[in-house]
Amino acid sequence: MTELRYRVVKGADTTTPPFAIGGKALIEATGISHRFGSKEILTDIGFQIHPGEKVVLLGCNGSGKSTLLKILDGLIIPSAGRYTYDGETITPASLKEAELHRRFRGEVALLFQNPDAMLFNPTVFDEIAFGPRQLGLADVEGRVRHWAEQVGVAAHLQRPPFSLSGGEKQKVCLAALLALEPKVLLLDEPTAALDPRSTGWLVDFLSGLGVTILITTHNLSLAPELGSRALVLGEDHRLIYDGEIQGLLGDMRLLAAANLVHTHRHRHGGVEHRHSHVHDWQ
Amino acid sequence: MNRDRLLLYLYLAGILAATLVHDPVWLGAGLVLVLLLAGRDAWRLLRRALLAILAFNTLISLGYALMAWWQELSPWLTLARLNLRVLLLTSLTFLFIARANLFRALDFSKGLTYVLGLAYSQALTFRRAHEDFRLALASRSLRRPRLMDRYRASAAAASWFLEKSLHAATQSAQALRSRGFFHD
Amino acid sequence: MHIPDGFISPQTYLPAFALAAGFWGYAARRVHRQLDADTLPFVAAYTALAFVLMMVALPLPGGTTAHAAGIGLLAVCFGGWMAFLAISLVLAMQALLFGDGGITALPINALAMGMVGAFCALAAWKLLARLHETLALFLAGWLSIVLPAALVAVVLGMQPAIAHDAQGAPLFFPFGLSITLPAVVLPHVLVGIAEGVLTVLGYRYLTRLRSRLDA
Repeated sequence: MTELRYRVVKGADTTTPPFAIGGKALIEATGISHRFGSKEILTDIGFQIHPGEKVVLLGCNGSGKSTLLKILDGLIIPSAGRYTYDGETITPASLKEAELHRRFRGEVALLFQNPDAMLFNPTVFDEIAFGPRQLGLADVEGRVRHWAEQVGVAAHLQRPPFSLSGGEKQKVCLAALLALEPKVLLLDEPTAALDPRSTGWLVDFLSGLGVTILITTHNLSLAPELGSRALVLGEDHRLIYDGEIQGLLGDMRLLAAANLVHTHRHRHGGVEHRHSHVHDWQ
Repeated sequence: MNRDRLLLYLYLAGILAATLVHDPVWLGAGLVLVLLLAGRDAWRLLRRALLAILAFNTLISLGYALMAWWQELSPWLTLARLNLRVLLLTSLTFLFIARANLFRALDFSKGLTYVLGLAYSQALTFRRAHEDFRLALASRSLRRPRLMDRYRASAAAASWFLEKSLHAATQSAQALRSRGFFHD
Repeated sequence: MHIPDGFISPQTYLPAFALAAGFWGYAARRVHRQLDADTLPFVAAYTALAFVLMMVALPLPGGTTAHAAGIGLLAVCFGGWMAFLAISLVLAMQALLFGDGGITALPINALAMGMVGAFCALAAWKLLARLHETLALFLAGWLSIVLPAALVAVVLGMQPAIAHDAQGAPLFFPFGLSITLPAVVLPHVLVGIAEGVLTVLGYRYLTRLRSRLDA
């Protein structure tokens, strides 16, 4: 039998506060700034994430969410600042060291916004097996089947990944990442391409995983379903909020500043007025 | 004539002039002029241009120095001329790119502006996607990927681009039709 | 084959521009006649494709990479004139929007890659396809790399003879044919192999894709 580090718990409580007060931070970003040419992408970002937390990273398009996730995955090196994972400073030089590289890539997984970017193996089976095979884990087949069943793509194992629908591709990517049983999942707008039913499935699935999760979205009404702590990137590329999601949702001024809500005229029974609110178009 | 088209003509004239002049002093003077025109951006422009030509020019310069030493010639004039000229031309091009809007400069042809605009925006999207393909493989690799995996990753990227561009072509043809582009 | 500005003499790039401009005008009319109203979007899409194919890594053993060019593939799949236009537009975009590669090298590269490369690839494909499809495609890809490289090597190698000062010192590219031919052509003979494979696989994929889109 495959030894799996965690099992998916169906129907787990989404509202359990995952705030680990005290204890060692798993992810620690200090003063991270990033520029591309003369363009500011991130400015002076600092936060900590503790093991088991489920954190939602909110920000409008172009606020730098994807770049921040790529920095946390050690793919982009920030122009300034320091990033430590589990006490180890992550830099191009430190990742050259084979032992740290293997541990970091095995423990931190990034789901790209475009699932096509991640899929290159001839079959769904090979796609999910790609990670475990590199580690030379025992019972690769059992692992692949387990995770394919968990995400619901077991029927497609022999199909080439490119022939699947967008939602199915995303599930295959998720299974491929989970097959390594990472400690941290970085998810970049995973609901952007999903229909409402799949979105509901993903919310349930993630809440049942005992993994540290940082998930980005610009869909405000989905945020409380995905975690209980929010980080908000403003349009000025600074971190403008770090705390409970519930507290954030009441702060319309902050949400408007982050371009997460908008204002327009309304008619309610003959009375016209303006107020900020959310439109969820996805 | 609009400002950008004038800049394009000036730029092309500058390029021609810089290849007709062979005295390093004049080439150096041209470089100073370009940097003066760049104003506050001068240092950034110069740095970018130096970085862009560094690899190729170092190789050629070292090779030529070696050849001249072998033939007992003095290499200095040729080396100064060659490197100053390349630096001048590259800086001039970067200055043109920074200051002029190529699409406005070419707006005498609606077709050309359209094709270039569409191709450019598509190319930018593709470039971002290409970077994601590269990073995704790096992110999923616990050790150096095998040759076979690198082939598969390249093939997956290439086929994605093939499919997207066929799709994009059909889409934009329909969009053009719906906007009546072909009827005037 | 990316030559920065300053290595090609005006005696070379001015006639090359005149020649290329004539072909650009002809190609635009040809492609327009073939595709009717849909010309513009297709030219744009294949230009973007040619642009990104040049970024795709062709993995070589030992962890090194070369870069694809996609010339053979474009020529075989979309025709020689379309390939010529797309490649020329990519070169223009690179030179004047991305600041990558020179404007004086543009007509030489357009003629070498877009004209000689694309049409020789097409000729190889048309002549040999009936005998052996895979071989024809492979050869189309290989030729589309090696022949342009050879032409660029000749143009570069001729510069010291074309443009030199009174003492005989070179004004532009300083090395003759005896250096440029082996230095430029030999590596491309190897890179061409990977390009040949890309052409075979790309053609098959595209044929399948088109039949799926038509279905």
